[in-house]
Amino acid sequence: MGERVFAVLGVFAGPDALLDAASKLEGRGVGKLEAYTPYPVHGLGEALALRRSPLAGMVMVMGTLGTAAAFLFQWWMNAYDYPIVVGGKPLASWQAFVPIMFEVTVLFSAFTAWLGAVFLLCRLPGLWHPMLSSSSMPKLTRDRFALSIESQGRDFDAEATREALRDAGALETEVVRFPPAPKPASLTLLLGLAGAGALACVVAGLATYWTIKVFPTLPPMSRMLQQPRLGAQRSSSVFAGSAGFAPVAEGTVARGRLPYPFKTPEEAAVLGNPLPRTKAVLAEGKRRFDTVCRVCHGPLADGKGTLTKAYGASPADLRTRRYQAFPDGSVYHAIMSGKNAMPSFAKALTEDERWSIIHYLRALQRAADAKDSDLP
Amino acid sequence: MTLRVLAIVGALGCADSLIIDPARFWANWLVWTLMLVSAGLGSLFLVSLEHLTGARWSIPLRRTAERVASLLIPGSLAMLAALIGIPVLFPWAQPGWPEDPLQAGKTAWLNVPFFTARAAACAALWIGSWKVLAGGSLELDRTRDPRLHLRLQRFSPFFIAVFALTVTVTAFDWVSSLSPEWYSDVLGVYLFAGVFLSGLSAVSLAAVSLKKEGRLQGVRFDHLYNLGGFLFAFVVFWSYIAFAQYMLMWYAHMPEEIFWYKDRVEGAWGAATLGLALVHFVIPFFALVTRGSKGDPRRLAWVSGLVLVSHYADLCWLVFPSLGLAPRFSWPEAAAGLLFVSVGLLWVRRATAQGDDLPVGDPALEEGLAFRL
Ligand code: HEC
Repeated sequence: MGERVFAVLGVFAGPDALLDAASKLEGRGVGKLEAYTPYPVHGLGEALALRRSPLAGMVMVMGTLGTAAAFLFQWWMNAYDYPIVVGGKPLASWQAFVPIMFEVTVLFSAFTAWLGAVFLLCRLPGLWHPMLSSSSMPKLTRDRFALSIESQGRDFDAEATREALRDAGALETEVVRFPPAPKPASLTLLLGLAGAGALACVVAGLATYWTIKVFPTLPPMSRMLQQPRLGAQRSSSVFAGSAGFAPVAEGTVARGRLPYPFKTPEEAAVLGNPLPRTKAVLAEGKRRFDTVCRVCHGPLADGKGTLTKAYGASPADLRTRRYQAFPDGSVYHAIMSGKNAMPSFAKALTEDERWSIIHYLRALQRAADAKDSDLP
Repeated sequence: MTLRVLAIVGALGCADSLIIDPARFWANWLVWTLMLVSAGLGSLFLVSLEHLTGARWSIPLRRTAERVASLLIPGSLAMLAALIGIPVLFPWAQPGWPEDPLQAGKTAWLNVPFFTARAAACAALWIGSWKVLAGGSLELDRTRDPRLHLRLQRFSPFFIAVFALTVTVTAFDWVSSLSPEWYSDVLGVYLFAGVFLSGLSAVSLAAVSLKKEGRLQGVRFDHLYNLGGFLFAFVVFWSYIAFAQYMLMWYAHMPEEIFWYKDRVEGAWGAATLGLALVHFVIPFFALVTRGSKGDPRRLAWVSGLVLVSHYADLCWLVFPSLGLAPRFSWPEAAAGLLFVSVGLLWVRRATAQGDDLPVGDPALEEGLAFRL
């Protein structure tokens, strides 16, 4: 029994007796008061003069931080790092950021409240506490209420404290000491739990790996494969001779499939722009240029698009002398066949759209070094 | 006495504005009608919530809520009077409407006879429900018959359904149909948020001022805290709904929706919109966010007053731009405000003179008074 005293415990019959004793002893400097009850007792916080928990302030700070972080992150991504127009809205549209800001605020607040309460303020997981060695503990989880006065140093007088508790109406009192040696059981338990967790991770990882190895063709979504359609070599009742695919009729060309015979920009130079240079054509050209060419060649066709470095090639500056003198047909060829890092846009654009882009490109070139006489 | 004089001054001012500018007069009349209905209906909702959930904390405040709910009577009467303004207020009552097939689809709903019938039905249901809930509660005080208490509890689910339907109908009829080409499904919920907020604020204000007079003795921090908590929650709820409606319409940018917001976000109303966000969300939110402030009578009183003013501003924001009116507060607005505020105060004051301040016949009143957070 030579161990250090942790606290003196007084057991009371009911919550009223406990509240009464707490308000009697509070502020008399007997030591740090703490209460143990089987259920929450109203008014105990006031009776013990507990300080307000700092949790609310922590949540406020972290919640605000969440709002700010979500806003800055979205702004940086959408308006700065990877600017892509979505739905025709301005790049930095705060309206679109609000839902995420709201959610991140809630997330940060909830995590702070939970983690802060559990780990910081309640100091869990604490698998051991000196009070657990008290013989009154089983009663305290059932129908008894206790007040403890914790020792705060050498000059703690256990006997006088017992007396004070008895005076305050305690049915019985007990001196709680630190147990002989802190139990290492909690450490073993924690290590065991951590080990089991690590093992579970490894097993789950390996299982996933082997599942994918052994069943590599688990079809994720095969509904598109199983629709009624005509296979390449199947017969059909639509065409004569039960052929699945009928040959193209002799001497005809499918709509929009005129062959494109040219191999080089020089050969294509013989082509002339068939469209008139009207406002409507220029407007259409601008619309198509902005949709298709602008990302790479830039809004002014000066080769300064919004591509990131990952693209590797540098799109041509189409405003230079060289391209001002480039024949229409050769530009048409660039659109049809592409060049090196520029892919072909034959599929993406109709013939009229290609020619209208060329009209618009000419306008951009002229605007590059416009003269006063160009002004209307 | 002063209130009576103010009411008369307000009435004269209103008569004047009716002659000079009928459209503006009816707009103000409509806003203030909805104001009275909101405060009354929101309070009655609080009463029926208590019966419905068996809540204990609100029992000491229930009589106050029942008294504020009596505003439904002048509110309903004002609404019936507003029917006279239909030809001035609503485009769908003009000759030549509907102009396009989209709006033609709404003729079955938007026509004078059916509209009048709906308004009358709403008024009858509100006054009837108030009679059942508030009258039954007074009756209970007299007879102490526990069966009466049970009857109130059984009536409440019915009232909740009536409440949901009538709030939605009111929002669609008196707010949305000012711009008949506009669509918004969520407007009923939006108005509900404002209705409950103004009911809560009116009850809080009434409770705090009664406490100041030394009445409502048993009502403590804990009871007020719950009112403040509700107020806080629904300030956020209103903002959530208001923003959700705005964001969807802003994103989709459909012509039959977006014009409504263009009227309110561009030009002079743009500043009003920002101001609304400030007084309807930012200030009340931060004023009530801490624990101590939700139950502090002084804080609760001024935030409640602010929320009522915000609901008024919100209603103006809903009604005025649709009629092409600018965000102005001048004589016609002041006169209508004087008239309705003083009549409302007189009405509630008369109600507080009748019966006990606490529902003494409620079997659970003791429990309610002992309520602790
Ligand atoms: C994916 C990016 C990309 C897009 C989109 C793109 N280009 Fe290019 N373009 C390039 C690059 C890169 C070059 C330089 C190729 C080279 O010289 O190696 C180029 C070169 C050109 C040239 C010069 C060809 C030559 O023979 O020198 C023309 C003309 C041209 N582009 C027109 C267009 C037009 C018109 C469009 C829109 C239909 C378009 N480009 C869209 C990347 C692009």
